[in-house]
Amino acid sequence: MFLTSLQLRHFRNYADQAVTFSAPKTIVLGENAQGKSNLLEAVELLSMLKSHRTSRDRDLVQDGQTTAQITAAIDRGVGPHSVKMTLRSSGRRTSVLNGETLKRQIDLLGTLNTVQFSSLDLDLVRGGPAYRRGWLDGLLVQLEPFYAHLLNQYGRVLRQRNALLRKADRDETGFPVGDLSASLAVWDAQLAALGTRLIRRRARALERLTPLAQSWHEQISGQREELQIVYRPSVAREEPGLWTKPEGLQSAFFDKLKQRAIAEQVNGTSLVGPHRDEIEFLINATPARQYGSQGQQRTLVLALKLAELKLIDDVVGEPPLLLLDDVLAELDLNRQNQLLEVIQTRFQTLITTTHLSAFEADWLKSSQILTVEQGKILPADSL
Amino acid sequence: MNRPEAEIEALAQALLEAKAQVGQCSVCFHLSAEPVCNICRAPNRDNQTICVVADSRDVIALEKTREYRGKYHVLGGLISPMDGIGPEQLNIQPLIRRVSQQGTGEVILAISPSVEGETTTLYLGHLLKPFTTVTRIAFGLPMGGDLEYADEVTLARALEGRRELE
Ligand SMILES: Nc1ncnc2c1ncn2[C@@H]1O[C@H](COP(=O)(O)OP(=O)(O)OP(=O)(O)O)[C@@H](O)[C@H]1O
Ligand SMILES: [Mg+2]
Ligand SMILES: [Zn+2]
Repeated sequence: MFLTSLQLRHFRNYADQAVTFSAPKTIVLGENAQGKSNLLEAVELLSMLKSHRTSRDRDLVQDGQTTAQITAAIDRGVGPHSVKMTLRSSGRRTSVLNGETLKRQIDLLGTLNTVQFSSLDLDLVRGGPAYRRGWLDGLLVQLEPFYAHLLNQYGRVLRQRNALLRKADRDETGFPVGDLSASLAVWDAQLAALGTRLIRRRARALERLTPLAQSWHEQISGQREELQIVYRPSVAREEPGLWTKPEGLQSAFFDKLKQRAIAEQVNGTSLVGPHRDEIEFLINATPARQYGSQGQQRTLVLALKLAELKLIDDVVGEPPLLLLDDVLAELDLNRQNQLLEVIQTRFQTLITTTHLSAFEADWLKSSQILTVEQGKILPADSL
Repeated sequence: MNRPEAEIEALAQALLEAKAQVGQCSVCFHLSAEPVCNICRAPNRDNQTICVVADSRDVIALEKTREYRGKYHVLGGLISPMDGIGPEQLNIQPLIRRVSQQGTGEVILAISPSVEGETTTLYLGHLLKPFTTVTRIAFGLPMGGDLEYADEVTLARALEGRRELE
């Protein structure tokens, strides 16, 4: 798929800006705080319906304005698509796909697929489990948009269940008085049903992603290291083919809920379910999080991103866009070249940077270069 | 500038008064000026079937289909701990009393398939199954959709296609 044009109105620091993408690779050049990441963020929103920088639409609307608009034209194998998303400083989002106003926002998912890679992604290795869950969820939402619906519903059940646990009457020691189990039971049933569906989908996606990531990792590290990705659902022991056993998984879920019932009531929050899952990366059987060197961690993240590209390409049948925010300059020339080789002209790539000097000549030759200054975009050669 | 504001004020006042006058039916909790509503009093309606809904608006939507000839029971909301609504805040006890005392043949749960709707449906299912057949209407409403927005044809089809609660 190819993003042919983008128009931003009152979005972040863009008042009104149209961009046409004319090459498979676009380098967005600019000083700090000019709007480079904002541009990628707009693309991220269309593809994931979420920004990794904020969860409030209000932040996305230009200061002093009430609505922002992102309009895009996308070329897909099946033909052109047009998307218009309207964000409001107060009120709900609306989206129009090919002239039709969508009843549900999630129907926009799948129109534009992206893989993002920014310097923040080192947190995939170094950060807490929430970061890795967020990464996997972002991938799943694109592989199977229905996952977004399940995730929303699960989140809602979780909030309701937490409210019930939190609001329970307590004695002086903080222990809930009265029996909560009857009122919890109806929520448990839904938590387990939805949670099991999320876990199965996560397990299945990781099972497909792992061999791809392993082979990239082998190539980048020069066959010196072996990568393992281990999914640890909070309700069950990790095992191959986990996702093929929904009944076993669901009963494991209920067992775990029973086992942790008192802890949940004392803590006043839900301790069991996919919101507590962990995904672990091991390099040569050692947790990358604790032992990986900076270089090993970068190699790992690059391998994961390349695997994501390939997996979406395989499953969707069209290559996703690659969004590289600030990250390229941080890769050494060897890793830059490996990335370049994978991308070729197959994956449309948007790259932000403050300097062109860190780039391989090959990158520059085949790229469209745009300059960003205070929310205005110009072709570099017009300066 | 002043006039529309004054008009809105008057309208709001009128609405408040109307609400104060229209009470609830003491049997089914549907909006009613009388102590017992028209539907509950109607002699030609099927007493053996009760359709349970969240809201009076749902009764109005279902009545428009002219398909349903039984009685209703309005819960007054859905279970939602976040909003401080537990089963005790809803008209559930009176429903159980109605069903257990009058020998109802079927209870149809016509509740939206939202998270809160599912939970309320599950909860009612457990309570009602010892007394009667419990069915739910199988309708593919848009996610987060309410009965109010479902068109009449969809609702009529949903009523026909109702299935027994597992
Ligand atoms: N809602 C908003 N309204 C107006 N301006 C905004 C809004 N949100 C962010 N900005 C501005 O956008 C700029 C930041 O843009 P962006 O994050 O894209 O920078 P960048 O070019 O990626 O910089 P860096 O190289 O530091 O990453 C800041 O000047 C910020 O004040
Ligand atoms: Mg930036
Ligand atoms: Zn009545």
